[in-house]
Amino acid sequence: MSHTKKKKKIRNRAKKTCEWAWRMGLLKLRRSCGSPSHSASLWERSRARPARPPAPWTSEQLNYLGPPFNEPDFNPPRLGAETLPRATVNLEVWRSLNDKLRLTQNYEAYSHLLCYLRGLNRQAATAELRRSLAHFCTSLQGLLGSIAGVMAALGYPLPQPLPGTEPTWAPGPAHSDFLQKMDDFWLLKELQTWLWRSAKDFNRLKKKMQPPAAAVTLHLEAHGF
Amino acid sequence: TMDVYFGWRHLSQVVGNKRMRMTSSFQWLLSTFILLYLMNEVNSQKKGALRDLKCVTNNLQEWDCSWKAPLGAGRGTVYEVCIEDRPRSCYRLEKTNIKIAALSPGDHEIRINSLHDLQSSMSKFILNERNVSLVPDTPKILNLSADFSTSTLHLTWNDKGSLFPYHSNVIWEIKILRKESMELVKLATYNTTLSGKDAVRHWSWTSDMPLECATHHVGIRRYIDCPHFSGRKEWSDWSPMKNISWTPDSQTKVFPQDKVILVGSDITFCCVSQEKVLLAQIGHKNCPLIQLDGGNVAIEIHNISVSANSGTNVVFTTEDNMFGTVVFAGYPPDSPQKLNCETHDLKEIICSWNPGRPTALVGPRNTSYTLFESFSGKYVKFKRVEALTNESYQLLFQMLPNQEMYNFTLNARNPLGRSASTILVNITERVSPHAPTSFKVKDINSTAVTLSWHLPGNFAKIYLLCEIEINKANSIQESRNVTVKGVENSSYLVAVDKLNPYTVYTFRIRCSTETFWKWSKWSNERKHLTTEAIPSKGPDTWREWSSDGKNLIIYWKPLPINEANGKILSYNVSCSSNEETQSLSEIPDPQHKAEIQLDKNDYIISVVAKNSVGSSPPSKIASMEIPNDDLKVEQAVGIGKKILLTWHHNPNMTCDYVIKWCNSSRSDPCLMDWKKVPSNTTETIIESDQFRPGIRYNFFLYGCRNQGYQLLRSITGYIEELAPIVAPNFTVEDTSADSILVKWEDIPVEELRGFLRGYLFYFEKGERDTSKMRGLESGRSDIKVKNITDISQKTLRIADLQGKTSYHLVLRAYTDGGMGPEKSMFVVTKENSVGLIIAILIPVGVAVLVGIVTSILCYRKREWIKETFYPDIPNPENCKALQFQKSVCEGSSALKTLEMNPCTPNNVEVLETRSTVPKIEDTEIMSPVAERPEGHSEAEPGNHVAVSYCPPIIEEELPDPAVDEAGGTAQVIYIDVQSMYQPQAKPEEEQDSDPVAGAGYKPQMRLPINSAAEATAVGDDVDKTAGYRPQANVNTWHLVSPDSPRSTDSNSEIVSFGSPCSINSRQFLIPPKDEDSPKSNGGGWSFTNFFQNKPND
Repeated sequence: MSHTKKKKKIRNRAKKTCEWAWRMGLLKLRRSCGSPSHSASLWERSRARPARPPAPWTSEQLNYLGPPFNEPDFNPPRLGAETLPRATVNLEVWRSLNDKLRLTQNYEAYSHLLCYLRGLNRQAATAELRRSLAHFCTSLQGLLGSIAGVMAALGYPLPQPLPGTEPTWAPGPAHSDFLQKMDDFWLLKELQTWLWRSAKDFNRLKKKMQPPAAAVTLHLEAHGF
Repeated sequence: TMDVYFGWRHLSQVVGNKRMRMTSSFQWLLSTFILLYLMNEVNSQKKGALRDLKCVTNNLQEWDCSWKAPLGAGRGTVYEVCIEDRPRSCYRLEKTNIKIAALSPGDHEIRINSLHDLQSSMSKFILNERNVSLVPDTPKILNLSADFSTSTLHLTWNDKGSLFPYHSNVIWEIKILRKESMELVKLATYNTTLSGKDAVRHWSWTSDMPLECATHHVGIRRYIDCPHFSGRKEWSDWSPMKNISWTPDSQTKVFPQDKVILVGSDITFCCVSQEKVLLAQIGHKNCPLIQLDGGNVAIEIHNISVSANSGTNVVFTTEDNMFGTVVFAGYPPDSPQKLNCETHDLKEIICSWNPGRPTALVGPRNTSYTLFESFSGKYVKFKRVEALTNESYQLLFQMLPNQEMYNFTLNARNPLGRSASTILVNITERVSPHAPTSFKVKDINSTAVTLSWHLPGNFAKIYLLCEIEINKANSIQESRNVTVKGVENSSYLVAVDKLNPYTVYTFRIRCSTETFWKWSKWSNERKHLTTEAIPSKGPDTWREWSSDGKNLIIYWKPLPINEANGKILSYNVSCSSNEETQSLSEIPDPQHKAEIQLDKNDYIISVVAKNSVGSSPPSKIASMEIPNDDLKVEQAVGIGKKILLTWHHNPNMTCDYVIKWCNSSRSDPCLMDWKKVPSNTTETIIESDQFRPGIRYNFFLYGCRNQGYQLLRSITGYIEELAPIVAPNFTVEDTSADSILVKWEDIPVEELRGFLRGYLFYFEKGERDTSKMRGLESGRSDIKVKNITDISQKTLRIADLQGKTSYHLVLRAYTDGGMGPEKSMFVVTKENSVGLIIAILIPVGVAVLVGIVTSILCYRKREWIKETFYPDIPNPENCKALQFQKSVCEGSSALKTLEMNPCTPNNVEVLETRSTVPKIEDTEIMSPVAERPEGHSEAEPGNHVAVSYCPPIIEEELPDPAVDEAGGTAQVIYIDVQSMYQPQAKPEEEQDSDPVAGAGYKPQMRLPINSAAEATAVGDDVDKTAGYRPQANVNTWHLVSPDSPRSTDSNSEIVSFGSPCSINSRQFLIPPKDEDSPKSNGGGWSFTNFFQNKPND
């Protein structure tokens, strides 16, 4: 198979994945569908962080933080965001993941992110922001349920949180608004990256399980997506 | 020394003063004095004199005086200081200063005796308080602290007031220096007073730059302004400097953090970093860096704009890191607007307000509100709710027992400031009750009900004003206000009367207080049907005798709802005469008539309506009908949908008038409806929904007299007249050669639809297939119209018609409502036989008679006829004259036919002589031109025919009008020919002007021949005539002239004298029939010519 054909195939798959992911409620990744950055490899992403169009909700939240947080090339140090689950991973490592690990990592990541998001919601200054956050948390909760459903269908156990590793959101009183914004920024960024990675993960999973996929897909769709 | 000093000063002053007045010649004297003084000084030094006695004080109680030791005085010198006017005031000491108690004001002599090496010298000084300086002690900073969050420095020190005996004002001067380079950033003064006790003083200062950004140094000094001291006052020395610097912690690098500032103010941000700061930006905007100590940088923001909800971000970027802060620029709270406090239930006061201008600060920086009541000292705080709107800013305040007046202050506060609004209310006047609940209606009787409702609230001390809205179907809405005494959380009860029985009412209620503030909302609506009452009136009755006159039919109308007062169940009808009373059985409600068999006696019929409550008063009507012989049927037409009936007042009519009406086409009994009017009225308007336009109604006016009714008038009328819907049916009764008798029938009343006003009869000649009676009203002249206004006329004879002609007849009826449709018929009149016979016989007879007379005449004049019409033609070869001419002609070959002067015989008489000379075809040509000069006479009668030919050349040469007149018939024709070629000529001009000029016809041949002659004679006409050039050879033109006898040779049998002919086509340009048209003598123009000339132009 020539290089061009390969590229084309990848692109087609990416497109299908997007469609599939969209049906699942996986995000408002519509904007990234078909964009060149969409076919960039995870390996590339692990090294450099190219600017890509953010999902609508995260974009809205970044706009709320104000400039320069909503500028595409804004890349501050992680500071307090070190505890956030990282979506970026070496391409080889990602390829070597089996389905169980892949799904487990997704589940764990969204569990953590959801917890952080809820913490964010408690601090939101305006009612409108709180409503928007609550709505997104509900959507993310749905996605988490979907992943749990897939894992259950495939017979994988759900990961149990280790005692003491429960993610908490307890910024100290000295946490300044700016540092808070930095944390929020990274939370949104990681969330955005995770959503993108999940689309890849589920695409791969779907491809592998093509013959019996219909049953899985149907099961997922029955969850309300 | 002091003496000397003052003396010297005095002298100097004297000298100085006098110097102005002295002349320069005294300058030497001054120099002498100076010299003397200096010598004295030197001498006194030598003698060991003291100098420079100076005294200072720091507390006004003790003076510290010092002096300078004389030259040579060293260790071991003892000074004895004596104050002259103070007893036992000599002190021995070995130093050059002494602290003495403050001296009283005024001069004091001080003697100081110095003893050194057994030598003594004494100096005298005059000491005065004025020469003493007050120099306060140097203050000492007790504490310098910094509030970094607010960038404020707090300074404390002790004023040492206990050391100073008097109350004095103190001025403190504080200087603040920044950075290591000690840049002065603030020099402030602070005034206090000394009260005789020590006091710790505080002073604070807020820096425009965060204190973390750079080290700040603070120093202080003072100046005591004591009014009791007359000496010189001086500032103390500066205290030792104290400084404030910030110890960096782990995280925070940018200052200030999370600051809330007023929109439009200036602010400085700094970044404390060991790394080199590369870039600073606020929002999107980059800012220039200001370098501070140790690599710290600052930026200054001027006139900051309002922040978004999340604040404005300030970011400093280093090589590897990024530091920042958020600033919130907003506004202090606006004064709460439209603050209003009221209560719904006198238990809880609701105060609402509008926050005014947004502060642009949200979350923890949002405005907090507190409602404070000053009489009770109680307050409530505002709890923010989700999705705030202007309406949701309200606070609840629990009412206090026995307190009616409330003075509320609403305080608004945010990090940038505070504001307040106040309102003083008497809460009993600000009651807006809740909507009444449990609203119920109960009957009292058929015209009154009880309304009850519940109103939550403590209204025990006030009266409530409630509005009851009463709605009845098809009636105006009614409102009644009631005042009830308030109770606490209870129901209220009011009675509503003056209602109608058996009527559906809709009630609702709202309340306020007697001191009206606001209405509550309306309660729910309640529908209620009041109970029945006995019918208030008997039914409206009428009676009709049946057609056979044996039965009386009683009619009555159902009672209107406001009179029935309930559901009418039945009617009782009874009739009574003088002898007996007969009662019929009950007649159930839907039936509204009853039939009673009665004799012709006088009966009184009474009808009673009954409902569930009782019976109505009886309605009575007499059965007797009083005859009226003098009765005419009148006509009436309504206006709109009403019809007005009037009558004369009749004093005999004692009871009422009754008008009954019915549709005239309906069968008996004639009763559609009736109307009763009082006896004193003379007119009434009859109005009914049943009336329809175009329907004929009969109205009967009855008068009531002695309990009997008499028919007074009978009226036929229409509410509105319409046009008939059918045409009268007509037939032709009789037809003759010149007349038709038409007969028609009446139109039925139902189809007439109005009072018949007449018929219109149209007739015209026309066949069935071709003639259409179109536009009857358009006044066509061929249509004859007859308007028959006598509606009793049923026939019409149409006379003066033509025999055996088809006529189209149309008949239509009309009312005041318009024309009805047409009915048409075609009739052919009979033939007139006598006229036909006469018309045939007379022409035949005339023809026979003419034939006979002609035959006789022809027979008798046969010789003349022969000579005239069939003369013998002589042989031209036998003519001598012609022979002569022939030779002449032959002699000049150049002369052609047209050169008639020399060769054409002007007159040829053809004799009966038969000659063998061959025929010359143009022998019949007569030239009047040649002949007339001789004769000047009319055409000579004779047995020859003179055919004149008038060539225009000759005519132009002989312009004699008489010649034209003598032209005869042929001449006239020719003139007409001329006119053919005279375009644009006017007849008048031709008649009046020169005949030559008027000779429109210019034969083409004349152009080459008579051009010279024409140039003189015609002049201006040259242009006109020159336009036409014959294509043919003009020399041969005359040969084909149509009036030339030669033309007969060209196989043409049409000979038209004078008719113009195309020169090359020989076609006649004037149609033959034009020869019949009248020809004017001199007129060269005719209408026909005009058109025929056109193509030749």
